[in-house]
Amino acid sequence: MESIITIELGTNAVRVFAFDMHGNVIGSRKGSYPTFHSEPDYSEQDPEQIFITMLYVLKNLLTEEIHPKKYQIQAICFTASMHSLLAIDSQGVPLGNMITWADNRGKREAQELKRSTLGEVLYHATGTPLHPMSPLVKIAWLNRNDKSRFMRTSKFLSLKSYILHQLTGEYVIDYSLASATGLFNIHTLTWESKALDFVGITTNRLPDLVSVFNTPGKLRREYQTSLGVSASTRIMIGSSDGCMATLGAGVWNEEKATITIEDSGAVRVVGKQVLRDEKQRFFNYLLTENYYVSGGPTNNGGVVFEWFTKQFGDFSGLFDIERTMESLIREASNVSTGSDGLLFLPYLLGERAPLWNANARGSYFGLNIKHERKHFIRATIEGILYEIYSIGKMLEEYRTINSLSLNGSFATIPFCAQLIADIFNKPVSTVSKVNTAGHGAFLLCATDMGVYANLEEAAKSVVIQETITPQKHNHAVYNRYFQIFERLSLKLKDEFEDLTNLQHIE
Amino acid sequence: MNQFFLQHTQSKELEGFPHILELSIRKYTSIQLGSFCNSVSDAIRIYYILDGKFDWVINDRSYILYPGDLAIVLPGQSLRGARDFMDIGTLSWIHIKVEKFDKPKKLVLGNWSGLPETESNTIGTILQLNSTNVLVNLKDALGLIQSIREELVHQQIGYGTRINHLIDEMLIFIVRQSTHQSNMRRDFPQTFMKLEQTLRQSLSHPWTVEEMAALVGLGTTAFSERVKGYTGFSPLNYLINIRISEAVKLLRQQDNNVTDIALETGFYSSQHFSTTFKKLTGYTPGEFRKRNNQNNNDR
Repeated sequence: MESIITIELGTNAVRVFAFDMHGNVIGSRKGSYPTFHSEPDYSEQDPEQIFITMLYVLKNLLTEEIHPKKYQIQAICFTASMHSLLAIDSQGVPLGNMITWADNRGKREAQELKRSTLGEVLYHATGTPLHPMSPLVKIAWLNRNDKSRFMRTSKFLSLKSYILHQLTGEYVIDYSLASATGLFNIHTLTWESKALDFVGITTNRLPDLVSVFNTPGKLRREYQTSLGVSASTRIMIGSSDGCMATLGAGVWNEEKATITIEDSGAVRVVGKQVLRDEKQRFFNYLLTENYYVSGGPTNNGGVVFEWFTKQFGDFSGLFDIERTMESLIREASNVSTGSDGLLFLPYLLGERAPLWNANARGSYFGLNIKHERKHFIRATIEGILYEIYSIGKMLEEYRTINSLSLNGSFATIPFCAQLIADIFNKPVSTVSKVNTAGHGAFLLCATDMGVYANLEEAAKSVVIQETITPQKHNHAVYNRYFQIFERLSLKLKDEFEDLTNLQHIE
Repeated sequence: MNQFFLQHTQSKELEGFPHILELSIRKYTSIQLGSFCNSVSDAIRIYYILDGKFDWVINDRSYILYPGDLAIVLPGQSLRGARDFMDIGTLSWIHIKVEKFDKPKKLVLGNWSGLPETESNTIGTILQLNSTNVLVNLKDALGLIQSIREELVHQQIGYGTRINHLIDEMLIFIVRQSTHQSNMRRDFPQTFMKLEQTLRQSLSHPWTVEEMAALVGLGTTAFSERVKGYTGFSPLNYLINIRISEAVKLLRQQDNNVTDIALETGFYSSQHFSTTFKKLTGYTPGEFRKRNNQNNNDR
């Protein structure tokens, strides 16, 4: 029997899945690693720990579950979080930790670039919003603020490039992940010279560009031995987690959008054309040479509800955050649509799309004397989903979206799924795959191995678990609240700014 | 509340208990300047506030203590009133002499204690690492102090054993409370991050699951389950994970030898290090280093 392994190098953990050739999961493991915040705006991870964790998890899965079942590993396919940056010296040794997508140290550099005409050119050429998350901005920050590290850097890698170098000895990055670096021209599929000039590097300080189907090289012999896989096991570079989640959710025609909400969230569409937005609100990432995944990310997804739960949930029984969340959601379901006039702006972590304002902050608005604790619960959930809707609305300026596919732990909570259907007034489906990024990587790999004729066919194989239909009368209510939500979010810009300044003095 | 003051060498009641240096409940009714100047503790000092408001500096940090609060000062730590005098109020305390309290977390209480070595060391580790000198709302502590006193006064059958038990119990009680208060029970990820940091800072320490669990204020079973659920690894496997990751970093620097790296990262021998490393990575530490050298020569 044959098996495909997918490895997802995620924000907090590595997740390894083993699939049979029909796409059934035959085993899975995860291993988490910490994020370090040595300064408030910093967000870093240890590349060695991630590598060791990955090896450990992979080895355990193979030796304990997959080898005993006599599966032959055909291929190992990778996906990773976008926007990571790791500087290495000429010996290949990391210069400090890897900087994650959530790192905000480049706030100033991003703002300056965004205001310039060069910024506009770079945004349209690279598809990556000008934001501290972008490796372009991170390298610019290093060049300006950490010159000696910048000078000593032989290559600027993505985390996945580093891991693949450990395994195969090659320095490579796929078009898909490269398209999230802000350094890569998504139209010509080459490094963008204007971006490179801006940060002061040349192409030899970047990994080699390859297709998502590329095999960078053979697994080093030592790892073949320790993992118990053969020399013919194919290593496939794969793509980014966002693109793979879209494919894994079965979204492959232009009338469908996918909504992912875990801690953070995103609304995405797939198409053969870039969405050209003069207000620079979208990302346009390459999935393969022919397809773009476009959309907008939010910082404030499930993490905001988790915050609420920790602060206001009832923990008098045994500690268990999941159960506390469930009971909060039960309470929220007893409150009427629109929380009887209580509105919540969820911008606890600043916001990316559609505001792109790092200084945005959260707020409860419209409190009256009759509001109770339960109204706050429901308002919090509604606010998080209004924010998702505002991204969806902005995408609808360019695309007709007829239905939605949901994934991620927060979006697929039945209560949230129904709210999304009602707020968007569109039918919503959830897929049966728990991990869509892993399944997307399987589909990519299996397509290349000839299991599916092409990616469209592969996407069609995704089984829809359930379809939820919108309730019209609820939509009308939500829509009225959303109008206020949208106006309020824009109106408070100056106050967000002033208040954030006060918060920074502290 | 009846006041009393018992002191080692002065009070007959303490004759059989040389490790109890002082035991007291005392009411301060007027301020006497200079009555509470800086002193460095040579014992474990435990103070419980019965009434009033005390403005203290413990180990160079300011605290305001209210009724129900407990302060613990470890050997080597300093203590004084914020204005060098004792505030008005009522206070209870016990000073316990220990045989040994070394910086690398070794706590030896003495023969009187019923705590086995591993447990007293864990208590020592936690008291030092948590660096919580003040615990709020610890009403049960007063009961323990009063029980000790009653045993001393009445001297009923078995009082010697009871008193020493009560002191052990007091230490256990304080350590448990301090881990509960310093870890937000509702936020395991945050608690785990703090533990991770502690492990990294003393990677060479031979950590046991009991110690790690005690540090975050959980029982070992609950702790192991939580860690497994959150990280995907058992606590000890997670620890190996950090150890190997750190070792990889050290191996990439060319100037330290493999045995040193093994010990520094908490393996008990270079052999143990070598086997574990190879099992995971397919390379021995030496081969791993050589491969990196070759990489360099390629370039």
